[in-house]
Amino acid sequence: MRILVVVQRYGAEVVGGSESHARVMAHRLAMVNEVEVATTNALDYWSWAPYFAAGESMDGPVRVRRFAVTGLRSTTFKESERHILFEPHTLADEQGWLAMQGPHTPDLLEFLRREGKSYDAILFYTYIYEPTAAGLPLVPERAGLVSTAHDEEPLRLVPYRALFQLPRAFGFLTPEERDLVHARFRNEHIPSEVLGIGLDAPPWHDPEPFRDHYAPRGPLVVYLGQVSEGKAVDELLADWIAYRESGGAGSLVLAGTARMPIPERDDIVALGRVSDEEKYALLEAADALVLPSHLESLGIVLLEAWQVGTPCLVSAKNKVTSGQVIRASGGAAYDRGGFAAALAEVLARRDELGASGRAYVERECTWPAFDGRLEQLVDLVAN
Amino acid sequence: MNEPSLLVVVQRYGDVPGGAEGHARSVVQRLGPHFAIEVATTNSTDYLTWKADLTAGLDRVDGVTVRRFPVERPRAWNFKLYERRAFRSAHTLDDERAFIDAQGPYAPELLDFLFKRGRDYDHVLFFTYIYYPTVLGLPLVPERAVLVPTAHEESAIGLAAYKPVFHGPRAIAYNTDEERQMVWRRFRNERVSNEIVGVGIDVPSGRDASRFRERYGITGPYLLYVGRIGVGKGSRELFASYERWRASDPAHDVSLVLIGDAEMAVPKASGIVHLGRLSEQDKWDALAGCAAFVMPSLLESLSLVTLEAWAAGRPVIVDARSPVLAGMTRRAGAGLAYRGPAEFAEICELLMDEPAVGDRLGRSGAEFVARTYTWPRVVDAYLDLFAEVRTRLAA
Repeated sequence: MRILVVVQRYGAEVVGGSESHARVMAHRLAMVNEVEVATTNALDYWSWAPYFAAGESMDGPVRVRRFAVTGLRSTTFKESERHILFEPHTLADEQGWLAMQGPHTPDLLEFLRREGKSYDAILFYTYIYEPTAAGLPLVPERAGLVSTAHDEEPLRLVPYRALFQLPRAFGFLTPEERDLVHARFRNEHIPSEVLGIGLDAPPWHDPEPFRDHYAPRGPLVVYLGQVSEGKAVDELLADWIAYRESGGAGSLVLAGTARMPIPERDDIVALGRVSDEEKYALLEAADALVLPSHLESLGIVLLEAWQVGTPCLVSAKNKVTSGQVIRASGGAAYDRGGFAAALAEVLARRDELGASGRAYVERECTWPAFDGRLEQLVDLVAN
Repeated sequence: MNEPSLLVVVQRYGDVPGGAEGHARSVVQRLGPHFAIEVATTNSTDYLTWKADLTAGLDRVDGVTVRRFPVERPRAWNFKLYERRAFRSAHTLDDERAFIDAQGPYAPELLDFLFKRGRDYDHVLFFTYIYYPTVLGLPLVPERAVLVPTAHEESAIGLAAYKPVFHGPRAIAYNTDEERQMVWRRFRNERVSNEIVGVGIDVPSGRDASRFRERYGITGPYLLYVGRIGVGKGSRELFASYERWRASDPAHDVSLVLIGDAEMAVPKASGIVHLGRLSEQDKWDALAGCAAFVMPSLLESLSLVTLEAWAAGRPVIVDARSPVLAGMTRRAGAGLAYRGPAEFAEICELLMDEPAVGDRLGRSGAEFVARTYTWPRVVDAYLDLFAEVRTRLAA
């Protein structure tokens, strides 16, 4: 089969959950199909500044077609966005949203209109950006949409009203995303597949140095990911300090790029970015992983923690990660104010919850299981 | 009131010519008892210019509220240029967008209304796939939209701009199986719920051919055409075929009677009688008396007047290259199809020499219409489609 993957940014250097998922999918599909990618020459999503050369290149077996972004993201985008999302406005305002948000790539759209029919299936990643929202309507008869949708304001905007009625099939990251899309768009009649993700086995790693260092001070609780308010790490810090002040013991270790101030305390340690080996060593040494974010479309770090038998604590505000924890029986979800109690519960049942999480990952996140779901999606789109 | 609400969107509405527009109005009349119904349209009656010849705002037609939105620019004087650009194989998406706007009727307030108020209606029924109100309006309310495409093979339908129109609505009401097959072939949109709905034909009880002959001075046998007279309707070929036949076969003294507005010069040849637009009663009287009804148009999704000819018990002569007309005529066993002027002449001679053949074909046509094109069946088909939409929205 000849398959095209359309995504706003693409490449090993690109940071982003949907973009990484798109690249993994392209490479898995390329093992048995002819796979191409249509994308832009941008690396980041806040400026869309050119970084890659426009034109064709190879990423392993995958042919990558990069189309030039015309115009950077408007410097007044955030103000215009606030106007459209929260103030009275016109149809034209909403229709202008896509081009304003970017990445605006007319050549990519012309390519889809002209060459789309030469592919058996075209899989679009991320509903929100113009390559998908303006591109999918050009080839609905061969389109699959991996929407990576959250419950967020833009999902209500006019460019997406028809978009979610058009594809031949959906690929959802989680059952929660599927339920959200069905409730919002009443499009249950369009077939879908919950894709999840496949994971490589963890690389060689050694948890002993972390254990030796932290165990004497009590339980080791780890946060992995961007350290920012956007990820609700400020709430986590407040919860942690309240937990300590009410007599709880242990250390909170934050691994990831810091984009906010972190209080200087002996029990809170910021490691900055860590290598893959350090990541798994830290996860395995940890007594619990905590993920406070309200907006995750797929908590991959939960799956990685379960790979090494560590249970997880997630914010109950996030339906996706809460759903993952329930499905895997691999931890607990907490409300604000319930952090200490939930942590105590998870620590008391650490080995049992960790083992259950590990069994879930070994069942659902193997490459053959993921490939099977991908194949099902492609069949729904192409047949 | 518990009845569900229905908004009908169509480019022109009221006392306007046009098959799709007449179709929309008769459907509104028949669905009236079942829905709280309103119409959203423009303030123009003229599809060639879209000149604003009616007052914008609220209007009432047949007791139904009609919201007329202003056409903000007339059809581009150089519209043909936009067509040529958009129909080239090497055209761009900008060419397509410019074509949609230039073709009109350009009524942005109608779109704003659908954007802000469209979701207040349980259903929105769009008539005709091709015009601005449907192309740009349907994607604003796809989850409650039903489309009556009235589509046929033409250049415009190949544009990418129309893909969301055929993939986006909750259901499609086709006019004929031929239309559905054509749309499926082009769009691969089989998964969109659909039904062949068509229209019902109202047959007046009194039809008097002699009254028509007397009033308009028609003597002897005649072929009849009813509809717009223009190049796009195949009129030029019809005149040529008719004149060739008469020249080669002077023994048959048969006139060609035309009812409808002419958008081209009608030849002053002997035997061709152009009567202009006539009343419904005159039309039915004319249909009752014709030797055969001729429909030379290639581009029809459903020819109402062909159905009316059958309802009047008369045979039809159609161009074999029109998939819808030739297909329906074959299924109905109610007429003959020609390929070229020679076959046209043969068919005319046969029907003149063997009137019993024409009568038999006409009877078969009347049975076909009574079987398929009745209002109770059409209304039921719409009710089923709308009920399906409501079930999904409420689920």
